[in-house]
Amino acid sequence: MSWTRLFPILLAAALLYPPAASAAANPCLTCHGDKTVASKGAHLYIDPVKYELTTHAQIGCIACHDNVTKRHPADGIRPSRAKCQDCHAAVFAEYGQSPHSRHAGCTDCHKPHAVKPLLAVSSRDINRQCAKCHEYSETVKSHSKWLPRAALHIDDLPCITCHTGSENYVITLYMATKAAGSPLGGFNLADFDDLRPFLAAGKNAGTIIDSDGDGAISVSELKKFNTNSRYQNISLLGTMMPEAVTHTYQILNNRWDCTFCHVSGVKAQQASYLAFPEPDGTYSRMEVEKGAILDILYGTPDFYMIGFTRSNILSIIGGLIAAAGLLVPIVHGTLRFFTRSRRKVNL
Amino acid sequence: MSSDTPMEKIYLTPTPVRIWHWLNALGIVTLCVTGLQIRFPEYANIFGTYKAAIRLHDVAGITVSISFLIWFFYYLFVGRNLIKLYVPKLDEIKEGLFKQAFFYFFAYFLGRENPHTATPESKFNAIQKLSYLMIMFLLLPLVIVSGLLLLNIAPLRGWIVMIGGIAFLADAHYLIACSFFAFLCVHIYMATLGHTPFAHFRQMWTGWEEVESHHR
Repeated sequence: MSWTRLFPILLAAALLYPPAASAAANPCLTCHGDKTVASKGAHLYIDPVKYELTTHAQIGCIACHDNVTKRHPADGIRPSRAKCQDCHAAVFAEYGQSPHSRHAGCTDCHKPHAVKPLLAVSSRDINRQCAKCHEYSETVKSHSKWLPRAALHIDDLPCITCHTGSENYVITLYMATKAAGSPLGGFNLADFDDLRPFLAAGKNAGTIIDSDGDGAISVSELKKFNTNSRYQNISLLGTMMPEAVTHTYQILNNRWDCTFCHVSGVKAQQASYLAFPEPDGTYSRMEVEKGAILDILYGTPDFYMIGFTRSNILSIIGGLIAAAGLLVPIVHGTLRFFTRSRRKVNL
Repeated sequence: MSSDTPMEKIYLTPTPVRIWHWLNALGIVTLCVTGLQIRFPEYANIFGTYKAAIRLHDVAGITVSISFLIWFFYYLFVGRNLIKLYVPKLDEIKEGLFKQAFFYFFAYFLGRENPHTATPESKFNAIQKLSYLMIMFLLLPLVIVSGLLLLNIAPLRGWIVMIGGIAFLADAHYLIACSFFAFLCVHIYMATLGHTPFAHFRQMWTGWEEVESHHR
C-alpha cells in the first residue's frame, strides 16, 4: 500500500484510538494506576484519569518524588515528597497568614494527584471540601446570627465568594437537570452524562444553549433555550464565584453589605458565565452577554436574586395598579371638594 | 341631613375585630414600605440597610399572618357571622352593587344619601362585601402563602419549583402587594365618607358608630 494511502488511515486511527496515555507515557502508573496496589495502602493508588488532568502530570512524578530510582520499590527506599512551597511559594506565604493555615495544610484541601484549577471545579465541589471540617448545620447556625436566609445562601453559594480576598465576583449560570416525572424533585447539578441525550455527537454541553456555536451566550439564545419544551428538564441555576483566586479567606467589608450583591443597575453589568460539564468531570465556561442575567422573564427565569433580578414589565404593571389606586381618592376627592356645598354635614 | 337630627350610638365592631384591624393596618403599611425597598433597593433606601428592611418585612408579615388567623377564628367560631357579613346575597349582587356604585360615583356629589346604613347585622354595603371578600378570602391568603414560601426557600424548594419557581412567586407576591396598596388608598379614602370625615375612624377605634336615630 502506498504511503499516501496509508497516512490518512494511520492518522484517522491515531485520532480515533488515542494511545492509553497513562500506561504508555507514565511507567509509575503501571502499578500505581492499578486499583490492586491499594491493598498495600490506600494512598498508593493514583486515579489515572484524574491525574492526567492535573498540571502535576505535566511535570512528571519524579519532579516531586525525586529520590525514586529504577529499582523502586525493590530498593526499599521510601519515596520522598516535595514540599508544596518549593514551587508554590507565593500561595504558601499568602495562606500562611490566614488562621486557616493553623488547622489545615495544603493537602487537606488539595489532593496533589487530583487537583483541578478553579475554573474546572463546581461550587458544589468547593463547598464539599469546606464541609469536611465546617459542618453544615453549624455553619448555617453561625451565619443565621447576622445573615437573613442563611441556609439559602449556604446552599447556593460557594463559601469562597464571601470568604476571599477577591474584590469582585462573577455570576455563573450552571446547568442542572431534574429527573423526568418527579414534580417535587429539585434540579441537581448536571454532569455530562445527564446532558448527553440532548447533544449531537462530539459537541460540548454548552451547545445546548449556544445554538450558533460561536462560544458565547446571547440573550436571544437564552430565551430560545428557556422557551424550548425539549429542554424542560434542564434548568440554568445561578451562583457566584470570586473573580480572583486567593488563599486568604478574609471577609472584605463589601461582603457585609447586602446590596453589594443584591442591587440591580450598573453593578449587574458585570461579567457572567455559563458553566457546563465536560466528559472528564471538569467544567468549562462560556461568556454570557452583559446584562443578560437581568432578563428574568425569558433569559434567566431560574436565577433569582431579590432586589437584583426583577422583571421590569411586571414592576411597571404593579406600579400601574398602585397608581390606579391612588387615582381614586385624587379624582373623587377633587369632585367632592368642588361639590361640598351640596352636602350640609359631610365635607 | 341636618346637625340637629337626634343621633344615637350603636356598637358595630367588637374588640377582637378592632385589634385585628389595626394590627393589619400597621402590618400592611409596614409591609408595603419595606417591600418597596426590598424590590427596588437602589431607589428606595428607607431603612438604612437592606437587612433591616428584610427583617422588618419578615416580622410584619408574620404579624399579619397571625392577625389573619385571629380574624378567621373570631368570625367563624365566636361571632359566627362570617358568611352573613362578608358574602353578598343574590339581590345584592344583582342590584346592590350598581346602586352603591351609583351613589359613590354620582349621587354622592349631588348630596344624596347613602342607600346603605351600617348595622351590626349588615355592616357592609354590597361593594364593601365584594371587596372584602376578594381581599380576605383570595388576595390576603395568596400573599401570605407566597410570603411564607419566600421566607423558607431552602426547605420548601421542591414546592416552589413545582408552582413555578422563585421568580414567579416573587412577582406574584409583588403584584398582589401592589393591589393591596391600591386597596389601601381607596379604603382609607372611603373611610372619610362617614357623617363626618373621622366618624368611621372613631368607630374602628372605639367600636361605636354615631348614627341618626331614624335610621334604626
